[in-house]
This record gives sequence, structure tokens and C-alpha cells, in this order.
Amino acid sequence: MIKLTIDGKQVEVKEGTTVLEAAEQAGVFVPTLCHHPQLTPYGGCRLCMVEVEGARTLQPSCTMPASDGMVVNTKSQKVLDARKFVLTLIFSERNHFCMYCQVSGGDCELQNRAYDEGMTHWDLQPNWTPYEVDASHPFIVLDNNRCILCRRCVRACDELVGNATLGFEERGAKSFLVADYGVPLGESTCVSCGTCVQICPTGALIDRQSAYQGKETDVDHHISVCTECSIGCIRDVLTRDNRLVRLEGDWDAEPSHGLLCEFGRFLPLEEDRPRVVTPLVRKDGSLKAATWDEAIEAIAAGLGAGKGLAALASTRLSAEALAYFKSFFGDKFPADTVTSLEEGAATASLSKLAEKLGKSFESSLDVLKDTEAVLSLELDLVKDHQVAGFFIKRQLQEGTKLFVAGQEDNALAESAKGVLPLKPGSEAVLLAKLVDAVENGTDDPELVPVAEALKAADKPVIVYGKTFAANADEIALDALLKLADLTGAALVGVKGNANSMAAAQLGLEAPFKSENASAAFVVLGDEAPSAKLTKALEEVPFVVTLSAYESQLTGGADVVLPVTMWAEESGSYLSMDGRLQKAIKSLEAPEGVLTTLEALEKVAGALKVQPDQDWKASLMARIPTIQIQEA
Amino acid sequence: MTKPTVASDWLCGCAGCHMSLLDIDERILQVVDLVDLRATPITDLKEPDENGVTVGILEGGINNTYNEEVAKRMRERCKILVALGDCAVFGGVPAMRNLVGAESALQRAYVDAESVDAEGLIPADPELAQMTRVRAVSEVVPVDVFIPGCPPDADVIFYALAELAQGRIPEIKNDKLHWH
Repeated sequence: MIKLTIDGKQVEVKEGTTVLEAAEQAGVFVPTLCHHPQLTPYGGCRLCMVEVEGARTLQPSCTMPASDGMVVNTKSQKVLDARKFVLTLIFSERNHFCMYCQVSGGDCELQNRAYDEGMTHWDLQPNWTPYEVDASHPFIVLDNNRCILCRRCVRACDELVGNATLGFEERGAKSFLVADYGVPLGESTCVSCGTCVQICPTGALIDRQSAYQGKETDVDHHISVCTECSIGCIRDVLTRDNRLVRLEGDWDAEPSHGLLCEFGRFLPLEEDRPRVVTPLVRKDGSLKAATWDEAIEAIAAGLGAGKGLAALASTRLSAEALAYFKSFFGDKFPADTVTSLEEGAATASLSKLAEKLGKSFESSLDVLKDTEAVLSLELDLVKDHQVAGFFIKRQLQEGTKLFVAGQEDNALAESAKGVLPLKPGSEAVLLAKLVDAVENGTDDPELVPVAEALKAADKPVIVYGKTFAANADEIALDALLKLADLTGAALVGVKGNANSMAAAQLGLEAPFKSENASAAFVVLGDEAPSAKLTKALEEVPFVVTLSAYESQLTGGADVVLPVTMWAEESGSYLSMDGRLQKAIKSLEAPEGVLTTLEALEKVAGALKVQPDQDWKASLMARIPTIQIQEA
Repeated sequence: MTKPTVASDWLCGCAGCHMSLLDIDERILQVVDLVDLRATPITDLKEPDENGVTVGILEGGINNTYNEEVAKRMRERCKILVALGDCAVFGGVPAMRNLVGAESALQRAYVDAESVDAEGLIPADPELAQMTRVRAVSEVVPVDVFIPGCPPDADVIFYALAELAQGRIPEIKNDKLHWH
């Protein structure tokens, strides 16, 4: 341990702590700009300079390691003058017009630091060289006039996302932020994750969708969980006057620490499907608006005793709604088929494996953050579950080896050290070959690097998703377990939707055969139904759907009940790696729209059944593929 | 003891800072109790007294030779010079002209503008002030007090006037300090 003095306060810190971190521990605020807790310290802006007794000049506290007996002064006149000078230089470097900038008035860290120093003006005039505004990207606007060259965006794109699209060209006063080798951002390798926008301290990188719609002080924050895939990143939902303003990551939350992808950050604000705002009942061939009572009556009449009923639920629904649904149609008003819209594609084979083994066998996403070798089985982490892909990609530069087994159209393969062709159905063959290669060595040049890497790594990871889970047979899964055992690899199973895991725990994994159904009860929630499902339901004589948005499916149904979309209800979500988290209601639903659970309760009332409400107990009913913990 | 005298003028600005000053509403009565309001663009006297005033307030930045003259005259004739608003303190919105240059701005305004029906004519009468780079007042004359804002809050202006009226230099910081 190291003892040092900061502004007269004694503080004890671990070896390797920087002076800035030590100051934080001591409760002393040191202003910074280029620094960010999620990034490696950079020492670029020089705003954090402090006086260190015995040192010839002021020292940047963000990069300077604390040493035993150090005496630091963060408030001497020399330090205060230096701060004002640094800020003056930064302001005069580019064209900072606060009057009409959308982050002015609280959201701009540069402005806030100048206010902290009581700067009413500064003595150097701005550059007056006009800098480009790059508005080529669908979501992100880059205004170089506002850039302070802190490189937080470059470092985030590299260290957090592993995409390394952003970089700097030229040097000194000519330094300039570019995408790739100097192409417009909209034509670059940018994956639209928006981390750069969130981490930019000024208005240099802003997002189109929320620009000028409200500063931090104008909006309401709701720390919730993203419902766009099974990772369950923690997402802050910013609203104003019951309108969605922006979606941000939470820098402090596991597992993503601020990362989101375009599906979680930008695309939800592009939602333009028309809402279902009133119950609809088919009368004389067309859907007519009806009251809730009329619609519920029509459902009861149409379902009768429930003969030939197929009940399906979206895996985007909350655990509470899914558990109630399972109790409803699995037990109290039994349907011939009760399952999820995914039909267990991402989970069925794995759930069975857990049951066979009598224990969980998968690991949390965290193992992906610190591994020397990753084998991805038929999983394209560029297409979806992108944040897991970021965890992998950001280590590639440090020597982590990625191997991708799968079809040619897997974009993740572009970052891979080796690609193993794998036809769906031959998973068992490939895995058996790999087991053999690891156990006995092999001459196969495609397998050698994979086997070597997995053997050599301390903590290798084998990651797979929906495709593998759907294609792999028992032999393949046994081979997978064997391979993991031989190499000490952790297994990470990416599921499908936000609550695929909850649906698996509830046993909602059966296949849906529409030919035998005489009635279908489809709880869509806000999911966009697939063409396959829509077509299958066209043959079913009586279709009831609970949906937030209009679609061809609702257009062909017999009764439609309007329900809430993701932001309009609270609910629990079980992530792909067992984290039980809560989504928080952030918006009021339109008048007359109920939550999925409320709608189901109404239907249950009419059918005179009382499904169970103890959803947590239901989730623990079977052995999960991964340990479940409450966040 | 005679009351301190205050004069103001506006240069390359939108007059918004003077409007914000008027937003002190009935508090103007308190102000005129403490000071003698002399020349302002919104009262009848138009030039600061030749024998000088205590406080001179300038809104707007410097964008031509006439602005320079007015600023210099105000500086000569006042003890404490206040730069009021972002334009006076930094150059403000008009300063964006510096990014394209006066030539190009004149071309756009007098020749290429949508409302020009003939070929357009850039005014060039020798009696007209010459355009210069748009500058903060402090680039032309020394300024004593900077009150940024676009515009500064009426409360901040009232506070500043009250302090100056009582012989103190106002401290613009914390919630009084904002540049937008």
C-alpha cells in the first residue's frame, strides 16, 4: 500500500493507483476532459495537472502513478492558472459556439469545466478555420468545429467496441478526426453502436434522433434493461413529456458497462409501425373496433372449451407475463400446444442437456472479456448480440485468437484468425474432429491452429447461439462438452430474444404445428411476427392476438387486444447468462391499452380460471443451462 | 455624492441583451434610484457624455470600422467598461461570418440572395463603414467586466447593475454564469 497526501488529506492506495484515482478516493475533485473511467488514461487534455512537491513542473494526475510519500496540491494558484490556460487553449483551437449548440447548458463537459473555473471569457480568439460537419451517417452527426481532440471516441471505438473505425489523421494543430482512412462516417466501417456519441464530452458527436430535444435536466431517466436481444444490457431510457428522447448505456452496469448496439440504442427510436389502440373484433368479415368487454366475450365464445387450441407467446414478453401465460394455457386452461414463438430454437437442446447432466454448464458473458482464444460455432456476433462481439473484437489486437466455424455469410469471420467451414447438420463431425485434434494432434491444417489455441489458452471460450442449438444433436453436444472439458473452455450460449431463457425455464419450447390447430392464442406483445407465423395462422379458423402494433397477422386475426410495448410496462427479464433483471416502465401507454399481463388476466377472468402468479418460483422449476442470479 | 452614471450602446448585436435588460421589469425603478441612466439606444440621448460616465455598457461585437469608433469612444468616456452578452464577450453569432469571410457574406446577401431580382449590388459607398473581421470588444479596447450569455438573464443584468451602482465589480459565476 502507498501513503500520499492530497491537499493536506492523507490517503492510502494500492500500488499502481494514479494520482487522479487517489484524489477521487480522498474525495478531492480534479477536473478532466480526455479521461473516462471506462478507458485507459490518455493524458491528452492536460486539464488534470496538479502540483507535486519536488517535481519540476505540474504533472498530469490521470497518468501519473501515485508514489509513497508524495505530496500533492490540486488547488494552488499555479494549478488554477494552468487550468484556465488549458481551457483557453482548447476553446481557441476550434470554433466553439455555445449559443446554439445542443449540449450547451449542462451537457457539455468543456463548458462545465470552464464554468467551474469561473471563466466569463477567454483572451484568445478562436481559430476561424471552418471545419467540416459530417452528417452522412443515419444516426450520428460529427461536427469537427466542436471537437477538442480528446480522442475519447477513438479510444472507445477501439478499446470498448473493438471496431477501431475512428482515428486521427495529421498531427498537432492539423489533427483531425476521421472514419477509416478518411471517408464519410456514413460510408465507413462504423457499426452504429453509438458509444462514441455517448462518450463525447462536447457536441462534436451527437445523435440526430435526440438532438435539441432536451438536456439532461429536461429529461427523466429510467435505468432499465434492453429488450432487443438476450444479452440484457442495462439501458437508460430518457423520456420527456411521455416521449422517448434517447437511449443510453449505463457506464457502471454489468455486463456491458455502457455499451449498447444499434438495435438497443438507435433502432427503437425508428419504430414506425402503427399502434393497435383499441380492441378489434371480426364482424361480417372485417375487423371492427370494440370495447374490451365485447372483445373478451368474443374470445371466450371463440375458444369454447379450448379444443384444438395452440397458445404461443413472444419471448420479448416479461417473465411475469410468460409465467402467467404458461400457467394459464399449460395448466388451468390447457391448450394442445403451449409454446413460445421461437419454439425453443435457441434453447431446447441445451435445456435438455442441462437436465441430462443434472447441472448448469454455461458461463457468464464476463468470460468473453478476458480470454486468449474464442471459438464461435455458427454464431455471427456482427449480425446480432453485437455487444458480445464487441467483448471479443476488442481483445483481438492484444493477441486473442478468434476462430469461426460456420457458413460463408458470417461477418464475424472477417475478424477471425481462422475459419472452419461447417454445414448445418455436421456439427457433431466437426466437434469430434476437434476433440480428436486436441487429444491426439492432427495434420489437418484448418484444425491445427484452433486446437493449438484452445489448448494453449488459460481461459478459452466456446460461444454458440441459436443456429448451433437448433442444429446440434446429442452427439454434437456431448462432443462440445468433451472439447470444453479437455481444453478448460468456458461455454457461452447466446440465446434468441430478451426472455428466451425465461421461456426455456418455463418449458415453452415445443414446436408449433398449425395444421392441427382449430384456434390460436398468440401473445405477440411488441414483437414483429415472422412471415412464416403469419402464413401458418392464416389456416387456423379462430385466431386471437395480443399485440402492440398492427401487422398482417393482426389484420387477419379474429380478435385483437391492444397491449403495451417495451417501454410501457415493467417486467423481469432473464438474460442469456442467467442475470435476472428488471425493465422499468418509462412511458404511459395510450388510453385503453393494457399491459400484456392485465390483458391475460381479463381473458382468464372470462374463462373462469386463475393462473398462478408466482413467476419467480416457476422460473426455478428446471435446471437452467446457467446459474440464475438476481441482479 | 452624485449618482454613478451609466451609458450603453449596441454594436454588431441583435439588441437581445438590451431586451433582456428591460426584462428586469419594475426593478428598473430601483436601478434609476441608484444610477443616472444617460445615453442608451433605447433612451433619447445617443452619445455617452463628453465629460465621461462611470459605467459604459456595450452589447454586440465589432464587425466594421464604425463599431470600432463607437467602442473606442465608449472606452474613452467611461471608467468601467462592461461587455454585455456573448457577441460583445466572444464575437457571438455574427462572428460566424469569419468562417466564410466578408466577401463571401456580402456576395450571398446582396447578389445571391433569393430576394434579389436584378443582378444585385454590393453597397460600396465610401461613406459606409468598412467591414472587418468580427471581433470581441476586448480585441479592440480593454474591457473590465464580462457578462456572457445569449442573452444574459435579466436577473444577472440586474445583479450586475446593482453591484456597479454601489461601486463594486460584479462577480459573474455559478448560476449567474452561462454562455448560452
